[in-house]
Amino acid sequence: MPGGEAKSVKILSATHYVMFATALLLGSGWSPSGHGASQKLVLTGASTIAPLAGELARRFESLHPATRIDVQTGGSARGINDVRNGVADIGMVSRALKPEERGLHAHAIALDGVGIILHGSNPIAALRRQQIIDIYTGKIVNWKDVGGQDARITVVNKAEGRSTLELFLSYLKLKNSDIRPHVIIGDNVQGIKTVAGNTNAIGYVSIGTAEYETGHGTPIKLLPLDSITASVASVRNGTFPLSRPLNLVTRGMPKGLVRDFIKFARSEQVHDLVKAQYFVPISVR
Amino acid sequence: MSETVPGKLIHFRRDRLVEWTVYSVAFLVCATFVWIAGDLVRGGIAHLSWDFLVDSPRDAGRAGGIGSVLVSTVLILAVALMVALPLGWATAALLAEYVPADSSFGLAVRYSIQVLAGVPSIVFGLFGNAFFSIYLGMGFSILSGGLTLACMLLPILISTADAGLRAVPDAYRLSAAALGISRTATLLHLLLPAAAPALAAGLLLGVGRAIAETAALLFTSGYVDRMPDSLLDSGRTLAVHIFDLSMNVSGGDVPAHASALVLIIALLLINVVAMRLAAGWQRRKMVSE
Repeated sequence: MPGGEAKSVKILSATHYVMFATALLLGSGWSPSGHGASQKLVLTGASTIAPLAGELARRFESLHPATRIDVQTGGSARGINDVRNGVADIGMVSRALKPEERGLHAHAIALDGVGIILHGSNPIAALRRQQIIDIYTGKIVNWKDVGGQDARITVVNKAEGRSTLELFLSYLKLKNSDIRPHVIIGDNVQGIKTVAGNTNAIGYVSIGTAEYETGHGTPIKLLPLDSITASVASVRNGTFPLSRPLNLVTRGMPKGLVRDFIKFARSEQVHDLVKAQYFVPISVR
Repeated sequence: MSETVPGKLIHFRRDRLVEWTVYSVAFLVCATFVWIAGDLVRGGIAHLSWDFLVDSPRDAGRAGGIGSVLVSTVLILAVALMVALPLGWATAALLAEYVPADSSFGLAVRYSIQVLAGVPSIVFGLFGNAFFSIYLGMGFSILSGGLTLACMLLPILISTADAGLRAVPDAYRLSAAALGISRTATLLHLLLPAAAPALAAGLLLGVGRAIAETAALLFTSGYVDRMPDSLLDSGRTLAVHIFDLSMNVSGGDVPAHASALVLIIALLLINVVAMRLAAGWQRRKMVSE
């Protein structure tokens, strides 16, 4: 057995290992204040806003080469939390701030609506507000009770901490504990896929996302609310009852890079990005 | 009818039935894989190109490629393996070679590993977020994601390596002792190479689990799809990218399929390479019979 020879190879490879590990750490700038040189912003929060914020960040970085904007997701509640305890510089919150969140500053960057969606083959053309309440609280369990086919309704609800859920609940004046859901979903596209895959499902998602999907042949349809068509257009002209601002939230008055980024996100030069994500741009005076 | 046929025929028929069942179950398993792979190929192959592999994602991932995502994935995996492999295999060597199987210390270590193996990945994610990202101040970074993954990989690496070392016949250890070879040399030149296939299998299981992980990484390495400049930057792994494309980005299905296809091909390649390496190491170290 070639003991000595193999042993030296072994030690060599162990040394190599340590050298490689150190080199990787050093080469990548490992030090507690490694990112002090360039300015960095961290955004966390609503998954509805995250794709838009990512695009805003990319354009902002290309205009200001020394900055890095990191966008994380996880829901509006996380955005509020992370801003409060300083993990994030800016929180993304896809609703208006609640009274108990008054200490924070909200800066709207776009408008969005929440629309009720059914499977494309469902013959129902409209539901009254009371019918929606009865379906979501489990009083109506069959489509034939609202004029549809004889089939059980699958109620799709959003997970706790999602602002789409909070907006929907406040529109129907319900508590989440009143709702009898069969499926609980997280992000918008998951909701659309759930409804598109079940002919008897009812759900609610961001109108922007839903309009994109219907335009690309996904078998879902948006129901009008209070006889107003659910569309990006009706959100834009302010008639749609279930619309919401998409906010960037800060702990204090924004300063420095935070202020620059928020100003940029609300400016006219990003309207094309907002529209590309099927949201309604806000014109800031 | 069955009363008239001899017992032998009944046995024969039962054998045929069992045989048929086993075959069809095996066929079902293969069919599931073929279905999944076929679905991914059908949905993603048209989108797959060299540009897709090297470009950065644009328009929330609908356009562009997965270049930066691949780099982040490799970096996170490298950090995780570099931390977990030495720790895991050293622990396994301790458990299998230095501590009696029924000592209370060995039992305590084994028990804690079993508990660790059963912990859902989201718990590792929350732990990593609280400890690495916030307490140690690494923020959302490839480093904190890799370290979280390393914690997750430890139980797999330790238990497979432990079992592999234990499966090496005691005759090897006795012969080595009789030849006056030191314990360390026995471990490095005889036992570890002999257990190489088990080590490779554990490594593969670990890599598979790490590369498929989303929940533990969402809160540690994060969601940023830009090319990482350092290990302290946030980076999105392939699995997180697929999750976000299919759950949060409308019109993200085609790139999601293509990314999943890349992920599966990468896994297959890693499989082949790791098996080759293990076999080669074993051949170089040990005289084949």
